[in-house]
Amino acid sequence: MEIIEKIKTNKSDDDLTEIQKICLHKLQSSPLPNPKSELWRLSNKSKLSTFLDYSVNEKDSKFDTPYPKNSKSTIRLIIGENCQIKLIEKNYSIQQLSENELQKYIKEQISFFKQNENWSDLLNLSLSCKNNILGLKINGSKIPPIEIFSNASSNSLNAKTLVIFLEKNCDVELLQVNLGKENSSLSQSTFFCLKENSSVNHGVVSYGDNRSNLLNSLNVIQQKNSAYNLGSLHFKFNYARFEISIKQSAGNAKTNIKGMQITKKDEQISTYTKIEFNGPNGFLDQINKSLADDKSHAIFEGSIIVPKIAQRTDASQLSRNLLLSNLAQIDTKPQLEIIADDVKCKHGATISQLNEEELFYMRSRGITLTEASKLQLSSYFQEIISFIPISKDKWDLLDKLLNEN
Amino acid sequence: MVNENLVKDVVKEPYKYGFVTDIETEKIEKGLNEDIIKLISQKKEEPKFLLDFRLKAFKKWQKMKEPDWAALGYKKIDYQDIIYYSAPKQKEKISSLDEVDPKLLETFDKLGIPLTEQKKLTNVAVDAVFDSVSIATTFREELAEHGVIFCSISEAVKNHADLIEKYLGTVVPASDNYFAALNSAVFSDGSFVYIPKGVTCPMDLSSYFRINSGDSGQFERTLIIAEESSSVSYLEGCTAPMFDTNTLHAAVVELIALDDASIKYSTVQNWYAGDEEGIGGIFNFVTKRGKCLGKRSKISWSQVETGSAITWKYPSCLLLGEESVGEFYSVALTNNLQQADTGTKMIHIGPKTKSTIVSKGISAGNSKNSYRGLVKMGTKATGSRNYSQCDSMLIGDQASANTFPYIKSQQPNSEIEHEASTCRISEDQLFYLQSRGIEFEEAVSMMVSGFCRDVFNQLPMEFAAEADKLLALKLEGSVG
Repeated sequence: MEIIEKIKTNKSDDDLTEIQKICLHKLQSSPLPNPKSELWRLSNKSKLSTFLDYSVNEKDSKFDTPYPKNSKSTIRLIIGENCQIKLIEKNYSIQQLSENELQKYIKEQISFFKQNENWSDLLNLSLSCKNNILGLKINGSKIPPIEIFSNASSNSLNAKTLVIFLEKNCDVELLQVNLGKENSSLSQSTFFCLKENSSVNHGVVSYGDNRSNLLNSLNVIQQKNSAYNLGSLHFKFNYARFEISIKQSAGNAKTNIKGMQITKKDEQISTYTKIEFNGPNGFLDQINKSLADDKSHAIFEGSIIVPKIAQRTDASQLSRNLLLSNLAQIDTKPQLEIIADDVKCKHGATISQLNEEELFYMRSRGITLTEASKLQLSSYFQEIISFIPISKDKWDLLDKLLNEN
Repeated sequence: MVNENLVKDVVKEPYKYGFVTDIETEKIEKGLNEDIIKLISQKKEEPKFLLDFRLKAFKKWQKMKEPDWAALGYKKIDYQDIIYYSAPKQKEKISSLDEVDPKLLETFDKLGIPLTEQKKLTNVAVDAVFDSVSIATTFREELAEHGVIFCSISEAVKNHADLIEKYLGTVVPASDNYFAALNSAVFSDGSFVYIPKGVTCPMDLSSYFRINSGDSGQFERTLIIAEESSSVSYLEGCTAPMFDTNTLHAAVVELIALDDASIKYSTVQNWYAGDEEGIGGIFNFVTKRGKCLGKRSKISWSQVETGSAITWKYPSCLLLGEESVGEFYSVALTNNLQQADTGTKMIHIGPKTKSTIVSKGISAGNSKNSYRGLVKMGTKATGSRNYSQCDSMLIGDQASANTFPYIKSQQPNSEIEHEASTCRISEDQLFYLQSRGIEFEEAVSMMVSGFCRDVFNQLPMEFAAEADKLLALKLEGSVG
């Protein structure tokens, strides 16, 4: 109950948007996710309660971007800061969604929500005020890469929502950066709607600071012949959950996912993915990597659902995990639920440490153990990082990861 | 395009073990309470420790909830509407097989398990269990010469109470799960095997379980203990008559392997699966677990699951001893409205332990077939390895195949590999075989048999042939 009261503090009902009211109402019956449900079973309860401990912050906190300068070739948006956007060029347009469009779409999504599966979204939508919702409609071609920031400020609980419509035949590169601050909680929900023949290279880089927490949820709907490529990276969070739900609404679409999470100290980072094929000829290629060190805990749960209608689906899912310390732990659960018979589905999972033979080979060639492990790790990271758009030239993610190791 | 109807026709073979033996039986009244448990215990003339064990389990069971996490849907079981003890009436003490009711012998004869002296299977000792009691155990003298104890668990309670008291419930504690607690409270009979130190059991041991009565549940309990450096291969078969009602079968199997011992446990489960509309059939809720206590000990489970309306079964290995080995080979076939949620648990506790999982699921008709497995590496399991492979084959577009592997590691110096795939009978392969003059049904049957080959290779010879035949029969009429 506490969380609901917290949201309502200092607010009369009039201050709440209609969506906030709907979501609060839904949360009222069970304010917290069921800790015994499959999706929340492994989640650290005390960490989740720390997440909710901070007071709600609705103001935008102007922050000094600790990131590379904005180059002319990219469009940079910060949720909560510049939600007014209207860019109409010769080949493309990026416009804000109208209040109506936004409301209608979010309400439709809420109608599909389930208490445990979409708890993070319900929380996000109850918390995020008008200013912290960014809705975009992207149209056209030759669109410059877009960077969207979502940040938390210290000692507070922040909620940001992003809704993106990708119109027909549109093709775009988009990097979403979620920044955690010291002792902060960030709830980020993203809703992506890919219309026919559109394609996106979507990057999600979430990176925290000491004791920062994150609930990151991503809901994607893919119409026919759309292509969705996701590269994601989560690291340096005391507690983080990345929930991905992708629906191929009429099949015939392509999805590629490459994700990675890195945990150290006593951190817990988890990734939950659910991919549904609601039509024939769907394609999925997914790889999720985890690396757990010190006393940390990394979790991956991925489900692929292929109903009868989804004939000729081709889906593969791979979970690769590196366990580097005696006190760390990794849980992984890739799962397949299949009813259609003419499908090719496979999944795989491995958990191990760095390959000793490779290390030995490099050391026998005069490379020190530290260098050799770094080399191995860099190849492990590289596969994912090279898949994250824009980051390659500007973000030096690989250096960041390696030098912190 | 593969002709759907043709494939469907390949799985339609009527259940040939569906007959009922008309024999006078002694049943107790329906329902479950402390008095019933005391009555069962009294009928079996059990010592006090066992009655206490049962009552304690019953208390725990009353506080437990029926699990609902499995991907199974079935109507609620009324535990008060079941007869917990049913036995064919026969003379008090049977000293030889000649005194066993000929009807019973005939029944087992019909099931392909002859028990009489002239006909009994050579080189396989059989313990035949009919409803709640064990009817006969063959080759006992020959086994006794080697010091092997093979008898029904009721006899073992009387003659080897020390072993029972020491080991019963040590692998599957009464409070382990809902169905194990129920079994611990009301178990009627089952087999007991004790292989002394250094003995390789001279022949395969086998239990044959037959449910005959439609309103009584079967709750058998099997306990196998393999002392240091001993080895045994144990086979288990099950059938039941066709009834319109669902019958509950909740068994517990406990295996214990000490240093250098090895136990191979094979099952061909062919309980009545219900008819095409899903009416009748056995609800099969089984807890099977082996404990590799000793160093270099080995427990191997192989199973062919073709029957039961509902199957809920996860044969597991607790790998405690250094360098101990756990194996699980399974073929699960579901057809019509059958539902199976089966798999294994490999819990690596000791260092350098190894486990292998090979699971093949075939779903046809409107059935649902799920693999659910757990592989866990504990903090002390350094240098341990696991390899799992789960393949599913779908026949027809109404069947479903699910895979839920849970993998957990707390030990960096260990390796876990898991792979799973789903496919259907390839049209190219079918076409190839047919173009070589092989009949459609035979081609399908060959491909299914090839799909299961990895598992069949692990079965003892007599069983492998039977399993292959069983699968071909069950699939008859379902591929198309």
